[in-house]
Amino acid sequence: MKLRQLYKLILFILFIPALSSCFEIVEEINMRNDGTGDVTLTINLSQSKTKVASVMLLDSVQGYKVPSKQKIQSELAEAVAYLKKCDGISNVKSSSDFNHYIATIGFTFKDVSNINNITKNILAKQKIKATNTSSYSFNKATKVFSRKYQPVANAKSEFNKLKNQDKAVFNGATYTSIYRFESPVTNVTNPASNLSKSKKAVMLKSNIMNLINGKVNVSNQIQLLK
Amino acid sequence: MKKLLVALSFLFFSSLTYAQDLVKKIPKNAFTVATIKGDNVFKLMFVKDFNESFVGKKLLTETSKSLDKNFSSIEDFGINLEKNMYYFNQLSDSITYNCFLIPLKDASKFENLITDKDKKLKVEGEIRTMFLPDSTSLIKWNNTMMYYVTGSIKSSFFADSLKSAKYGIKDIRYQSDDVLTDSATVAVDSTYAAEPMVETEIAPPVLPKKNHKTTGKKKPVTKKKTGKRKKSGKIKKAPEAEEVKMLETTDDAATDAAGSVSDSDQYDNYQKEKVEQDAKIKALTYMWISEQADKIFSTNYESIESNKSYSASLDKNAIAEVWISSLQDVYNSISPEFGRYGKAGIMKGYGSLTSKLFMDKKSFRISTGLELAKEQADSYKKVMNRKLNKKFLKYVDSEKAIGFMGYAIDTKAYLEELPKLMQQTYGSFLGSNKMDEEIALGSELFSLLLDEEAVSKVVKGDALFIINGLNSRDVSYTTYDYDEDYNQTEVTKTKKETLPDFLFMFSSEDQRLMNKLIKYGINKNKVSVSNNIYKIEEKKSPIDIYFMIKDGIVFFGNSLPEMQSISNNTFNARINKAHQKLLSQNNFSFLFNAKNLVGKVPNEEIGGEETAKKFNETLGKMGNVYMKSNPIKGNLVSADISAEIPNGHENALKYLFTLIENASK
Repeated sequence: MKLRQLYKLILFILFIPALSSCFEIVEEINMRNDGTGDVTLTINLSQSKTKVASVMLLDSVQGYKVPSKQKIQSELAEAVAYLKKCDGISNVKSSSDFNHYIATIGFTFKDVSNINNITKNILAKQKIKATNTSSYSFNKATKVFSRKYQPVANAKSEFNKLKNQDKAVFNGATYTSIYRFESPVTNVTNPASNLSKSKKAVMLKSNIMNLINGKVNVSNQIQLLK
Repeated sequence: MKKLLVALSFLFFSSLTYAQDLVKKIPKNAFTVATIKGDNVFKLMFVKDFNESFVGKKLLTETSKSLDKNFSSIEDFGINLEKNMYYFNQLSDSITYNCFLIPLKDASKFENLITDKDKKLKVEGEIRTMFLPDSTSLIKWNNTMMYYVTGSIKSSFFADSLKSAKYGIKDIRYQSDDVLTDSATVAVDSTYAAEPMVETEIAPPVLPKKNHKTTGKKKPVTKKKTGKRKKSGKIKKAPEAEEVKMLETTDDAATDAAGSVSDSDQYDNYQKEKVEQDAKIKALTYMWISEQADKIFSTNYESIESNKSYSASLDKNAIAEVWISSLQDVYNSISPEFGRYGKAGIMKGYGSLTSKLFMDKKSFRISTGLELAKEQADSYKKVMNRKLNKKFLKYVDSEKAIGFMGYAIDTKAYLEELPKLMQQTYGSFLGSNKMDEEIALGSELFSLLLDEEAVSKVVKGDALFIINGLNSRDVSYTTYDYDEDYNQTEVTKTKKETLPDFLFMFSSEDQRLMNKLIKYGINKNKVSVSNNIYKIEEKKSPIDIYFMIKDGIVFFGNSLPEMQSISNNTFNARINKAHQKLLSQNNFSFLFNAKNLVGKVPNEEIGGEETAKKFNETLGKMGNVYMKSNPIKGNLVSADISAEIPNGHENALKYLFTLIENASK
């Protein structure tokens, strides 16, 4: 047996008992009163780094091809290049940390609705037919920030088609969204969201499983002080 | 009393006549033979038990339902369950026969399974034949055996226009650009005789006959052929081929008439032609299989029993056996499809392959053996002439071990034999290019560059990999904290993670090279050292890896405490006799003991209580799984895989039935 094969065997044995993994998705939007703002999206797999590192050494796991570090980096670079060309988007930045398995991408927008176009275009590019399920808007006159989110109708059924061991990947995964404003918030419509002490930030934390199952909705209408 | 005696003796006699094993019906040139040994199977499980089992019930109710009859026992199918059932296949360049031989106890019961008997059966004395709907398979039986054969024509054979023309079959391909090409490739008609096609040369003999027969209906032709076949008893290909050809010439006229047609017409023509050609191939298959089946029933020939390799492969205790005549032949038989390189002897020196399944009160076992050419076997013997270092056994803890794998080869012999083996395999591969000399030269060079003796001192060739248990350890990770205004700060937290402790070791007499490597690693900051235990600092690996050299053994492991205890001789482990035997007596051995894993992984790491429960249940039901290589006997290398069954089951077969039942619930 070659040493490489042996190594793979070791990893395989290490990996078997550890089917579930944890990861975090964090979405931050800093809104300014003039309607511009910054977005940062973070994917953090650090809690599962042992497993991720093991998986990265394999070609495929549970029937899924494992992307190489180079592939991930090039996809990220592609995303950055795409964002740079988008209307109203500037200051695009990305980072990837392969020691802790954390990747971030961030940019400045002229209007928060610019984000909607991006998702729409990306979906179109991937030829995914999806009704616009998520959108952001900010009305400067009424000072209402709204996030609309319609769970994709078939997400749950598609998810249920997954094998149990694949579903387990989402156990313990969390989604956090933080919206920060220059003016204090007077009202939020989503009961699951929390208002900070200064009343200038709104946070919503949810288990990803709950999002998929539709138990938690991230839609929110945030009224700022006029 | 006398009557009873007569009756008894009659019974005995009749069972003796029954006793003729169907193996005698398998031709000597059979390529693969698979056997299910009815008597051994039903020793483990009585027919009554089978009928009452989940699988049995399902089989009986389903068949009853589909045939609208009432079966209460598998004996109602008329099969003789105490005898062996066989599958075999025969290969030629043009057709592959897949055949089943099933012993019958009561032919009338078997016939009961067939609906509309009168329409489908052909009776000739004791022998009854039934062609199956697609006419590429048939069933033939008498009072003691049932024979099923299905033939599949090799497309590669008919892709050769010379050969296929002999049988009046064209290799048609759809070409949309040039209509003429289409008919030109067909080129049987004299109109195209001017074209320098190979086929045109074969065409003439057909022409005179063309006028004798006007219409070509397939069925009468084939029937006639079948009749003719029986007399000759041997496949004579050419004459029939001409007959079939006649059908084709009429077809060609049609094709030719369609001189220049539109694409869609052309496609229709292509479709039509394809259907016609397929029908011809089917007719040919029909002919060949009926002939083959007749041979099985009505002629005497040398059976597979006279094949030494086959008869040597038999084991009276096996439940089922598979024997493949020769890997070299298998390879050569499929090699035309690989083109020019196909004929190379990649499999040269590899003889028959046997696999046997055993089931008993304690376990399942599959034993696989491969025959080698003498030269090759001698090479392997030299390579395998090594036993595992006895000192390794000190580090196996049978009570805790989840698994281990040991292997022992003689590195020196391996390096010396490698060029020979390579030459054997690849020498002929490149033989057509007259590369033999270069390969020989390469082998020499290899020996010259490598000092086999010196290498074998660095790596003797025996190694052991053990997982002695699971341990939880703290792992740090990055996450985020938010202050009261939800400003994010990155923080490092730790969590417990359960990981197996592995230990890998190999023997080394000469550690100078290792030491130099270590020194190099330390200088380059890739290795750090503390109390003679080295740690690999290269952070590609998700886990920490330590290594050390002690008593002529190089150790690798991921548990620092384990390494420390090896270093100061406090490693506490006890190996049991079975494991000791498994490791020390075989060149290769493997064990997986799932039970030692039960409940060792915290629920939250498996993905919740429910998953964990299932996971532990499955593991708890698994017995030990072993693999081992056996010593070479003669020219035969073999290996066994066995899986123990859990307590509380009568035998492996019954356990298997419970598993199937549980799985389908």
